[in-house]
Amino acid sequence: MSISMIGQVALKPKDYKSEVPVVWCPGCGHYGILNGIYRALSEAGIDPSRLMSISGIGCSSRAPYFINSYKMHTLHGRAGAVATGAQLVRPDLTTLVMGGDGDGFSIGGGHMPHLARKNVDLTYVLFDNGIYGLTKGQYSPTSRPEMTAYTTPYGGPEAPMNPLLYMLTYGATYVAQAFAGKPGVCAELIKGALEHRGFAYVNIYSQCPTFNTVDTVEFYRDLVETVPQDHDVTDLGAAISLARRTSEGCAPMGLLYKVDRPTLDMQMTAIMDGVGGREDYDLNQIIDANRP
Amino acid sequence: MGKVDLVIKIAGEGGEGVISTGDFIAAACARAGQEVYTIKTFPAEIKGGYAMYQVRTSLDPVFNQGDTFDILCAFNGEAYEVNRQLLRPGVAFVYDYPDGGFEPEIPAGVHAYPIPMSRTAKEMKSYRSKNMVALGALSVLFNINEKTLLEVLVYKFRSKGTEKLNFNLDAFHKGKELAEGLVKTDPWRVADPVDPKDVIIVSGNEGVGLGAILGGLKFYSAYPITPATEIAKFVALHLPKVRGILIQAEDEIASLSQVLGASYAGARAMTATSGPGLSLMGEMLGMASMSETPVLVVDVQRGGPGTGMPTKHEQSDLFLAVFGSHGDAPRIVLAVEDVKDCIHMTVEALNLAELYQTPVILLSDGSLAFSTQTVPAPKLDAIRIVNRKRWDGQGVYQRYQMVADGISPMADPGTPGAMHMATGLEHGPTGAPNYVPGNHEAMHRKRFGKLQSVAEFVKPTEVDGEGWADVGIIAWGSTIGVVREAVTRLQADGVKVKGFYPKLMWPMPVAQYESFAKTCGKILVPEVNFQGQLSHFIRSETTLNPIPYTICGGVPFTPIQIMNKVREII
Repeated sequence: MSISMIGQVALKPKDYKSEVPVVWCPGCGHYGILNGIYRALSEAGIDPSRLMSISGIGCSSRAPYFINSYKMHTLHGRAGAVATGAQLVRPDLTTLVMGGDGDGFSIGGGHMPHLARKNVDLTYVLFDNGIYGLTKGQYSPTSRPEMTAYTTPYGGPEAPMNPLLYMLTYGATYVAQAFAGKPGVCAELIKGALEHRGFAYVNIYSQCPTFNTVDTVEFYRDLVETVPQDHDVTDLGAAISLARRTSEGCAPMGLLYKVDRPTLDMQMTAIMDGVGGREDYDLNQIIDANRP
Repeated sequence: MGKVDLVIKIAGEGGEGVISTGDFIAAACARAGQEVYTIKTFPAEIKGGYAMYQVRTSLDPVFNQGDTFDILCAFNGEAYEVNRQLLRPGVAFVYDYPDGGFEPEIPAGVHAYPIPMSRTAKEMKSYRSKNMVALGALSVLFNINEKTLLEVLVYKFRSKGTEKLNFNLDAFHKGKELAEGLVKTDPWRVADPVDPKDVIIVSGNEGVGLGAILGGLKFYSAYPITPATEIAKFVALHLPKVRGILIQAEDEIASLSQVLGASYAGARAMTATSGPGLSLMGEMLGMASMSETPVLVVDVQRGGPGTGMPTKHEQSDLFLAVFGSHGDAPRIVLAVEDVKDCIHMTVEALNLAELYQTPVILLSDGSLAFSTQTVPAPKLDAIRIVNRKRWDGQGVYQRYQMVADGISPMADPGTPGAMHMATGLEHGPTGAPNYVPGNHEAMHRKRFGKLQSVAEFVKPTEVDGEGWADVGIIAWGSTIGVVREAVTRLQADGVKVKGFYPKLMWPMPVAQYESFAKTCGKILVPEVNFQGQLSHFIRSETTLNPIPYTICGGVPFTPIQIMNKVREII
């Protein structure tokens, strides 16, 4: 991950705003998260031309359009997989993935475990609003049964998943949670994620005033509880215990887990070094190995 | 002098050494200066089941597996049962007897050579030596060069210790002695050694892997699938040597997603799969078309649809390769004829993806995947590498700038002043979303229009034969090799026939089809699928009226099938 300042002049949060106007509904929690991202990028001192912002499809997946950087707006659910390829080729740049709960855990659910398990060196900011907004309000993997919506007129038939438990279990090396109503907390945790070497997952609760009528600002404000000061972020068991408290009505806010483990690109470099890999390797050796 | 062109078939149970016996014979013949073309079938089971390896060897170039075998070596009763209908007069039949567990009936005219393979192996207290006994016997009976065979065996067993090597050589010599005690009645002899040629011997899958490395590949994302997996095996071994990356993805959707991301980041990138994987990649292929990102997907076709016949040969993914994705999603589709193509067309496919900033699909097939062939050793100075057009740093950068040839410069992330959005949404020149009707049409013209010059970039379609022909045969993929031989043999019989062998499948070089057809009476299109997929495209894109000839029994055509069909329709 490259942390640099352009011409030694620190960039301000507004310097990361692109010219594309933000298109979310009034009152949407995503504004707070985006502001947190701008602040985090600024505080981490990341050169926009050395940042790759990558998303899938959904309301939150529009975020890269609003950020000054290299960026890809890919397919529904595929942001993490696309980012894996980009990050491995350019481990010297910063890779930032943004997307929603449906994009990440429903259609893209097959990729999430492998980002964590492989410890791909990227930051994944998940805008968790418990609903599909772009398609006008269907239940998502993080919707609560109380929510009646487009395809759940009689209430939700499914139990919601717990993104923090999921990520901790699959081996993410940085796991944090925040609430869009606290952009300062968002910024701090995202900055930590950007500076973390490895797969960093930041789950951010974000109200959808248009379609999700149960997960309101007030609901989230009551739900979240700051991680205790004495919590040991290297203790997986303790992090899991905190994450499990979500179902008891107190979702942890803050950094739950942070450990160092070799990243996928580091492992790849080790393999190349191990075989004496070089850009100008004599290809005749490979040809000759196939003579009869 | 022995017969110049000989087909030796080894059959038995998986795990008995059928495949390694075939590999030893193929390598020994190649070392003795001969051309080699092999095919093999593995059992679908992990262990056991019927396995077959056929070696065709000749001093002249060989283009296919041949019509049938001249020599059968049966390791067990099933190998005899499966092939007994093919024991025609003149065939040499070597089999495990006595104590092989079966009592074959020897048809009149068949030359029988019973060799106690199992009994000898038992005496040596190792079942594993059975195939070496057979190899020794075959070497004596059919003049397989002993010197080169021993070289191959020493090379193969060098890492396994002297004891193991000597044990295998001992079994080999026992096999030789057993055969020396028999009277040879058949005429089959492998040609005497000539000066070895400057060749390598690789399978189609290894050829694709080698082509990828020679073609400057830097990123490969793999997902296991029969019959393509061996490509990843080859690339995984060698790619780190050139500081390239191979990772295994969680599924084929992720494979192509990772390839797209790697390519966006500036690397020559590819994946390989078979039909089911290509089906899963359909949406991301459209993303590559739309975002104009170079990606290469190699599809080693197998019997389909559904799970189909994973280990069997078929050419049935042409429709999928050309049209597989929603919307109007342009791409380039190529198909290889043989192992030599697997090497060189993979290089070219990577070039085309980079040059045209579009997905390229390279079609191979099940019979090529595991067919080992002798091919001229590639020469590095003859390998052409074409890189994508990159921004020169002048003016304001627009990723999808409207330019005359439709190919807008790319810019690698990290380049100052060229930050941009690569997107699957319809977009204007800057990459910003744009749904204005005129823009969508203009962008389609850009994405399709840039492919108009592809036919000029690749070699013109080969026409095999001159002058007027009563029948013109259009063949693609590994069927070409079969048709080549059929055309030569028919011409030798005075039949007016010629061949047309497209390797650029899409966009179709229509003018070349038309001009070929002007020199032919009827047009015959043999292909190994049910629907006649190339025939369909020929009817839809050209004025030709082809006669489809389709088989789909899981095995390739033989030259005699093509010859019979030509005689039938002429």
